[in-house]
Amino acid sequence: MSRIQAKTDAFRAIADPTRRAILDRLRAGPANAGTLASDFQSSRPAVSRHLRVLREARLVMDTRIGRERVYAVNPLPLQSVAGWLEGYRAFWQASLTKLKRNLEAK
Amino acid sequence: MTELKTRARAVADLVDGCIVASVELAAAPERVFQALASPEIVDWWVNPGVFDTREWSGDVRVGGQWRASGIARGEAYALEGKFLEVDPPRKLVQTWHFAGAPGTPSTVSYLLEPIDGGTRLTVRHADIAPPDRRSNVGAGWRSSFDRLSEILSPQPR
Repeated sequence: MSRIQAKTDAFRAIADPTRRAILDRLRAGPANAGTLASDFQSSRPAVSRHLRVLREARLVMDTRIGRERVYAVNPLPLQSVAGWLEGYRAFWQASLTKLKRNLEAK
Repeated sequence: MTELKTRARAVADLVDGCIVASVELAAAPERVFQALASPEIVDWWVNPGVFDTREWSGDVRVGGQWRASGIARGEAYALEGKFLEVDPPRKLVQTWHFAGAPGTPSTVSYLLEPIDGGTRLTVRHADIAPPDRRSNVGAGWRSSFDRLSEILSPQPR
């Protein structure tokens, strides 16, 4: 698997609980790295590393406003995660419906 | 017996990799438990035209193994795991894993509650690890998972 593909992988990006929390925070509204660092009581470099991973997976978009870089959430790549999990949901939905039919037919 | 109108419902929790599904069944918990832990599984782990479980075997006791195999859109697949909790007719917990795939197994928990006219069955399928797209070993798993995801997806209506 190429590194480029791995970097853009939404699964990898949301594997980390801090990154999921950052996404949840950004869902409430855009913020800069400093604000996020104080919200999460993390060091600025740690937050920047997480933001880089999220940016590479295109889960966050950054906009430069003057000297500041403001981050906003982009939920679109999560569709691949949702689509994958949907397979399991469909499995149980179909199976339980079938179980109901079988048990109640007898 | 009272007819229970409730249809099966399943919801996915994206971030936690967890599925919760439930259904109300016009059958006693003992009867439902039997369907969950016997070769009867081949009759209901089925979505016609999508996936079809053909064989199931299991040693239904704590630590006992189970294995299921079947065909999904023309491709063979096999699932396996072991029983973690066996408490008939209330609870059954088992691990769930695609045979030969890397990564950690997920966990399937069935809860059976007696209700008026039958049983409410709730399934929680937890710790579903995302396909690992980082490692080379993960590539084969990913392709089989991608295929399985396709396979298990509802057919276009």
